[in-house]
Amino acid sequence: MKNLIRELRAERGWSQAILAEHLEVSRQTIIAIETGRYDPSLPLAMAIARLFNKSVEGIFFPGD
Amino acid sequence: MDICKQNIRKYYLELGLSFVFYAVALILAMHFGYRMHRGLLRTLILVAPMIPCLFATWAIVRQFRRMDEYQRLKATEDVVISAAVTALVTVTYGFFENAGFPRLTMFVVWPIMGGTWFVCSMCRLIAGYIRGKDSE
Repeated sequence: MKNLIRELRAERGWSQAILAEHLEVSRQTIIAIETGRYDPSLPLAMAIARLFNKSVEGIFFPGD
Repeated sequence: MDICKQNIRKYYLELGLSFVFYAVALILAMHFGYRMHRGLLRTLILVAPMIPCLFATWAIVRQFRRMDEYQRLKATEDVVISAAVTALVTVTYGFFENAGFPRLTMFVVWPIMGGTWFVCSMCRLIAGYIRGKDSE
């Protein structure tokens, strides 16, 4: 899966550490999700979507 | 301080205290246990250092449950790799023993597993640090 987390985070001027704090996960988890190395669970994906006020499909989409 | 750092602090505190109790129990057990005659009481005293190890196990389980889902996945991978390496090394050495190599105590098993676990964790930590620098 690919995602728009980096772009959404940049729009708000948040660092990876700040986003990690909002989601109560580690910065390593944010890095892994942003770089596409890890697809979050549904609860975490929904928490991300809620935080950015978007739908899950509006953030995550199938990659190559 | 973020929640992950708070969790790590709690874990180090709990694990550190367990190790302190283990060291004290080990010193006392060796001091008194080796002077006693063979018997149930001596066996119980010599095995007593394992009681603080139960606290260490409890600290590890608590920390595992506090981890987020990605950390938990990676920690599980580390344990699987270290268990597999330990199985390979110990079974291989078992065949060497059949061929006449000296018999080793079971105390060597944990250092092999713990050592492999440590190496896996360090590799992951270094890789994560490098990736983190790249993806800022």
